[in-house]
Amino acid sequence: MERMSAVRWFARCAVSAATLLVASGLATAWLGNNLQVPATTTRDGTLITLNRYAKEPIPDIVLVGSSLTFRLKEEYFATPRLRNLALAGGSPVTGLEIVANQPRLPKLVLIEANVLSRAPDAALVERYSRSGGAAEPRFFRPVRTAVAAYENWLHAPLGHAQVASALDQLLKHPPSDFDNHVYADRALQQFNAQDPTAVALANVKRVEQLIASIEARGSRALLFELPYTEPLEGSRSATITREIVHAKFPAPDRWLPIAYSRNELRWADGVHLDERSAVIVSQSIDRALPSLLGSR
Amino acid sequence: MTFTSWQFGLFVAVVFGLYYLPALRTLQVQWLVFASLFFYGYGQPQLLPLLAVAVFGTYLFLILALRNRSIWLPVGIAFNLALLAFFKYKFLFIDPGSSGLSGVAPVDFLLRLPLPIGISFFVFHNISLLVDLTRQKGAPPDLISVFLYIIFFPQLVSGPITRAEMFMPQITPKYFGDIAFVEAAKWVLTGFFFKLYVANNLNEMTSYMDFPLYETLQTQDRWLLVFLYGYQIYADFFGYSAIAIGLAMLFGYRLPVNFNLPYISTSFSEFWTRWHISLSNWLRTYLYIPLGGNRHGAGRTYLNLMIVMGLGGLWHGAGLSYLMWGLLHGLLLVIERPLLTPLKSIDSALFRAVRISFVFVCVSMLWIFFKLPNFDHAVSYLSGMFAPSTNSNPPKLFYSLAVLYSLPVIVQHFVSGTAFERTLRRVEPYMYGSMAALMYLEAGPETSFIYFQF
Repeated sequence: MERMSAVRWFARCAVSAATLLVASGLATAWLGNNLQVPATTTRDGTLITLNRYAKEPIPDIVLVGSSLTFRLKEEYFATPRLRNLALAGGSPVTGLEIVANQPRLPKLVLIEANVLSRAPDAALVERYSRSGGAAEPRFFRPVRTAVAAYENWLHAPLGHAQVASALDQLLKHPPSDFDNHVYADRALQQFNAQDPTAVALANVKRVEQLIASIEARGSRALLFELPYTEPLEGSRSATITREIVHAKFPAPDRWLPIAYSRNELRWADGVHLDERSAVIVSQSIDRALPSLLGSR
Repeated sequence: MTFTSWQFGLFVAVVFGLYYLPALRTLQVQWLVFASLFFYGYGQPQLLPLLAVAVFGTYLFLILALRNRSIWLPVGIAFNLALLAFFKYKFLFIDPGSSGLSGVAPVDFLLRLPLPIGISFFVFHNISLLVDLTRQKGAPPDLISVFLYIIFFPQLVSGPITRAEMFMPQITPKYFGDIAFVEAAKWVLTGFFFKLYVANNLNEMTSYMDFPLYETLQTQDRWLLVFLYGYQIYADFFGYSAIAIGLAMLFGYRLPVNFNLPYISTSFSEFWTRWHISLSNWLRTYLYIPLGGNRHGAGRTYLNLMIVMGLGGLWHGAGLSYLMWGLLHGLLLVIERPLLTPLKSIDSALFRAVRISFVFVCVSMLWIFFKLPNFDHAVSYLSGMFAPSTNSNPPKLFYSLAVLYSLPVIVQHFVSGTAFERTLRRVEPYMYGSMAALMYLEAGPETSFIYFQF
């Protein structure tokens, strides 16, 4: 075979690279970036959640929170137009800031008050607080987009109607008897080691400002607390956070009333509700929502 | 300054741009040494004096050993091993954060210095220099050549570990017309593609192997991630080595090939002739053979293998996990040694496939000790691979993504042959162009090269 000159080799190499880049750019301009790209990390999942919020119509009800609230899946709720903006590994204040910075607001914002020991993610707030949400990348990622198309085709997101019977079946089962003491002990150790005072005080102050801001624009905000295991409820971190947030928001009507049978709840990893418990708590929130929406 | 940063791209462009200027031809070596010092000092300027001590010290011992090898060669080797031991293993015994260490300011300063990047590699270069050149008994090389051999920037941080007798003769004037541009581009593009597309994307998935995240995994996902980490660490280190080889070529130097499709090895001894070849060769030449190699009977051979692999493990890091990794590899080498001849006599494609799979599974499982340097975590991960998972809410891993990001490693290893290579040659520039586009479009989040920590 004739030895190809280096110049010809590089020219062909550059042409194929440029062709692929142009094709990807054109496809992005034509199709947009709307396809939900699969999340391989917690950070990816956060971006997906926020991208959806920025691009889709504003819902009536929004939950903001940490990984505790993240477990309350949207399909567990019968109430339509509800969006869970909780960020796994994040602070409820991040979600609340992003909601408050949008031009339109939901009717009701529910704010988790359990995890206030994490500072808001300023980069995320900045990114999703611009008009129209995050800037569109010029090129999409071809492999991830192909996988996204495949996954969306294979596992289209389910609505409440599609999972209702499965949820009923789940609730008919008894609570899990999984022995979680290893995880619960570790979680208790971590919760007792933390002193959230400084960050929680700053967060609570910011929450107060944001509540005032969104309520001045016609929305309504309520706080809620998700249940922990008994030992965790008494831990240093949980106790300090609870005292700080209740001192700032003492009025009962600032709090979402949630009624559930505590002995039905389980925490497989010692901190987060397991699926059955998350359904129970979600449904108890669900029951409170019609009166709240109607009372505006 | 990592290879994947824009600063490094600019640095290479400037160094390359001036290197071949006719006016600077007589200063090429000095220019490369200066550039390499800048490259090293850019990240850790406070450690430049250490590098100077290592090079000047080694040069001094080299001159002395050329006069009296029996005395000064061991002293020179001990000097380098002491440097390595001090900086690599001191944190086993001291806490750099504590207020008063020794009470003597200069000593405390030394004790608090971080692990110098690339120390494991340049110490091995120094030892090779001392052994090779004193064995040849030639004239002593000039100091600037010694400097270049030890700190040549493409190989300074993570190798390949080049033997002095291979590198030193290459220190001659270089000409622009002699550059193998296409070959260099192929190495560099392949290296960046494996790092950015394969390793960085797989790293996102294998981050679930870290403590305590792995406790949430399903059993089958633990297995999957072990294999993905095997692909990741290969793509990461092969990628680095390929970039180093390509860059060195641009400056007229040939570095040794460091990987040769390690995951098609049919035995553990073959694996070590295909994985991190420059380290294996170094350990064989400067440790295994001086220990007696296989010349003193089976028992001594096995002991030598265990010593070499154990020390090879500790060379990677001061920890029980690294030691266990090395010793378990040593044990596998010992166990298979008497079986190699009978196994070779079985000529069957199926049997060969079984052997490749077995070696791959074992090697991949041992990578757990690399991924989780905390020994308890590594053992906990391993035991979880053989127990049903109890987590009702495991993270979702996308198997399709795992396959697509691993595909380059799989294709490189298993899709070969003359017909394929003939076809490849016709489309080669287009394929490399596609790889360049794909590594830009689909690059995973920036992470440092795994071997930088060693």
